[in-house]
Amino acid sequence: MMVEDHSVAAPLRRLAGLSPASIAAMITLIVGALCVALEPTLPWLVKYPAAWSIPASDWIGSALTWFLGLIKPAMRIISAGLAYPMDWAHALFTFVPWPLTIGLVTALGWYIGGLSLAALGLGGLIFVLASGYWLESMSTLSLVAVSVPLALLTGGATGILANEFPKFKNAIQTVLDVMQTVPTFAYLTPLLFLFGFGPVVGLIASAIYAAPPMARNVILGLERVESDIKEAAIMSGGTRLQQLFLIEIPSAKTQIMVGVNQCLMAALSMVIIAAVIGGFKDIGWEVLLTMRKAQFGPSLMAGLVIVVFAMIIDRYSGKLATERSRYDGRVALAIGAVGLVAALAFWGKLSNPSSITLLDPVASWLDQSLTGFLKQNGGALDSIKNGAMFYALLPLRIGLDGAVLPFTWGFQWTPVMSAAFIAVAAAAGLVLALRGRVALGIILVIIAGVIETGVSDLPWPFLLVGAGALGWVSGGRKLATFAFVMLGLVLISGLWDRALLSLYMSGASVITCAVLGGAIGLLCAISPMAWRVVLPICDMLQTIPLFVFLIPVLMFFQIGEFSAFLAICLYAIVPMIRYTRHGLVTTPEELIEAAVSSGATEWQTMIEVRAPYAAPTILLGLNQTILYAFAMLVIAALIGTTGLGQSIYGALAGADVGLGITSGAAMAILALVADRLVQGFAEERRQALGL
Amino acid sequence: MKLTYLGLALASLTGSVHAADLGATDDPIKLAVNEWTGQHVSTHVAGEMLKAAGYKVEYVTAGYMNMYQAMSDGELHAALEIWSSNVSDDYAKQVEAGGVTELGDLGLDAKEGIAYPAHVADMCPGLPAWEALKDCAQKFATAETLPAGRLVDYPADWGTPGADRMTGLDLPFKAVPAGSEGALIAELRASTEKGSPLLITFWQPHWAMSAYDVKFVDLPVGEEACFNDPAWGPNPNAVNDCDFAPTRIFKASWSGLADKWPAAAEILTNYTMSVEDQQPLMGQIDVDGQSVEEAVAAWMAANEATWKPVVDAATK
Repeated sequence: MMVEDHSVAAPLRRLAGLSPASIAAMITLIVGALCVALEPTLPWLVKYPAAWSIPASDWIGSALTWFLGLIKPAMRIISAGLAYPMDWAHALFTFVPWPLTIGLVTALGWYIGGLSLAALGLGGLIFVLASGYWLESMSTLSLVAVSVPLALLTGGATGILANEFPKFKNAIQTVLDVMQTVPTFAYLTPLLFLFGFGPVVGLIASAIYAAPPMARNVILGLERVESDIKEAAIMSGGTRLQQLFLIEIPSAKTQIMVGVNQCLMAALSMVIIAAVIGGFKDIGWEVLLTMRKAQFGPSLMAGLVIVVFAMIIDRYSGKLATERSRYDGRVALAIGAVGLVAALAFWGKLSNPSSITLLDPVASWLDQSLTGFLKQNGGALDSIKNGAMFYALLPLRIGLDGAVLPFTWGFQWTPVMSAAFIAVAAAAGLVLALRGRVALGIILVIIAGVIETGVSDLPWPFLLVGAGALGWVSGGRKLATFAFVMLGLVLISGLWDRALLSLYMSGASVITCAVLGGAIGLLCAISPMAWRVVLPICDMLQTIPLFVFLIPVLMFFQIGEFSAFLAICLYAIVPMIRYTRHGLVTTPEELIEAAVSSGATEWQTMIEVRAPYAAPTILLGLNQTILYAFAMLVIAALIGTTGLGQSIYGALAGADVGLGITSGAAMAILALVADRLVQGFAEERRQALGL
Repeated sequence: MKLTYLGLALASLTGSVHAADLGATDDPIKLAVNEWTGQHVSTHVAGEMLKAAGYKVEYVTAGYMNMYQAMSDGELHAALEIWSSNVSDDYAKQVEAGGVTELGDLGLDAKEGIAYPAHVADMCPGLPAWEALKDCAQKFATAETLPAGRLVDYPADWGTPGADRMTGLDLPFKAVPAGSEGALIAELRASTEKGSPLLITFWQPHWAMSAYDVKFVDLPVGEEACFNDPAWGPNPNAVNDCDFAPTRIFKASWSGLADKWPAAAEILTNYTMSVEDQQPLMGQIDVDGQSVEEAVAAWMAANEATWKPVVDAATK
């Protein structure tokens, strides 16, 4: 737990005999208490005065507009150039008759992975055909087909650049972080301005989002090339380029293929964003149209089409990455030939794939089931929502003093109750402190204070100092400064109030996901049966366009925070489940055997051996959950939240470049600070375990 | 050759004073197709009229909020149904910059208002008179709005007309922004199916008006004074104590349209569409499941007298 010596705090610590965590918590507590105590005389301590903000979004807006105008002609040339491959791909994919496409995909599946992949390809594409979205899907595929090579090239080049010039590695990593955390909606307006209109903008947005995973995996792969291989390459006298392309990149192939796989998945997940711009009748546009009519069945069908493509692409490229062996090429050729013959035989007689409506009854049945469920359970749904709002979400947002009213809890919260509540927490904290858990005791008091005040009313010095203190404990002085300065930037940008609302929304979701997802992950680690049920659900939640889930959530629980909260949880819980399970099941056998032979029960092994060993992995899962929650905040704005997500969406509607970029940056800052803090703790756990 | 051209030009001049040159008929005119059915109807009818005049037409899907940059760049040539109540700020910017030109009203008679599904009238006796809302606000209350009632307002980026009415009329309701049109529809659908109370800001023509039997609350008819003079209307202390300001629905185009395709610009400028024509077509598409092309083709065949004169005036 110990962090290395920090010169300023060292004497302090010797004085008090406290751990750094305790000191950090203590400072935070004192700052918070001071703010609350001084609020009546110095109100600016709690609510940051608007007059102290700088008009950051205006400045950024005008600077960017000037800069964008400068580079616009060059960018227009790029987009005109990209329009050619885009048009060719589109013409090709929509021209090829569907029996041939299905035949070729099935043949490829056979060649890569045998019967199971061939069946997946065949079944998946038949589903797409039956849904009536064939042509739209082909438009989508042509977009992915152009954006992925673009992302692979730029991502790969970036990765190699970082490897060749270690000086730039940190800077490049930061740029990659930013590319992945600034919500795409935030930079759509500048992209539209720069690149014009239509599928090319979607293509570029999707390439921006899909390139970082490729770059990261290339960096990681090249880093892990064994030094003797590198030395052998140097000894054999090749130039640096030869060493790189003939030796190092081939040895890093497996890791790079993981990057290709992730790049494909990321590009596909951006499809819906491309549709918001329009210019292209693709599957994302269909999702948007049905979503606008609140038709759950049809929009789920359109969403499942995207899931099917994601699954096919994921499994195919995953197999390509991990296995070298290939299946009989002659069988593949035969399958392809069958498709070709079918296409030729029925040339001109094939019905227009858009007129196929085999799955329409399923879609309307789904829609009616939703209606039936609502009619029967309307009251129960309302009480679930009210319960969650009254007893959890409202107190967290506006504090017990604001949320406890005769309407909600049946009585009025009084200052006496506040005092009693804090006193109880303080007493419990004191008990913990006396037992030697000083930091935990203080944190308990802090949490009680937060619940009493409410996240949206927290004093800004408390949050800044708190984040700095956490950074200090997690990663030392550098991280502390980073957290403090970054949050300070959000504070003076004038977006603080909205940022607090976003923090509350994502905080509530992350806590819920951590507890619930951790429990589900634990269950899946114990029971393979449960994992078999949970895995496909996780896959679906991660690849289906999130818009699709907004409809049932809205119909069950209406517009408001609870719906937004649920939508975020649905998406953000997945990594928590995956990583928890993964961490728990990958504990080395010898550790478990040692525990079992010393007489530990299965449960004891889980708690004493597996859980501590899995802690770094689980923390990484938490880290991903936080990033996912922030990503989902923007989508949740469509349900009517009021935080930064809403600003981003409003900026998009109003073509306000400055506000969009500033809000996107604020969102990215919150995500990055949380990311660094959790990674700091994970790194420390790893070191403690000697990994 | 030149003489023949001259002769043709003279002949056309004498034929009709309004007749305009067709222009570049080989290049397709790109019409923006936005996210809702009514707009699809308006656009496809206009597109078929242009085709009848001898043009090539391309229907291009475009995000309603983000299309004006593309229009100003000449990548989209016209949008035929723009609602003044939720037009993007970018529209005004592009008009000012000179890339986009307005083409006049579509003639669609729109109404916006505070609305409720019909079954809500049983829960709040006295509706549709607005005064009834004073006493039954409690029935509309939810966890987030307690003790006030809940009004579902437009998405925040469309403005807050519902909230303005509640403040103006001093009604105990708190407005909750919807976030998207899909969210508004989901609210209407859930309320109809659960039989739960709902007060919502809504508009017509919209297919949901009939699908969920939506009624408007009767508010004092809005006059100019209502929006400027607090003394006007039932609440002497506030503006906005009346119904919505009438919404304009208009057409706009790329500024180069009239130069490149003069007759097309004239057709689109004179083109109008009424609620009576649009609403049944929307029903055929959204409720009966016809495609836009089918429904519009049938309408074009049956209503030649309505649209043909507009095309003829510009081309003959």
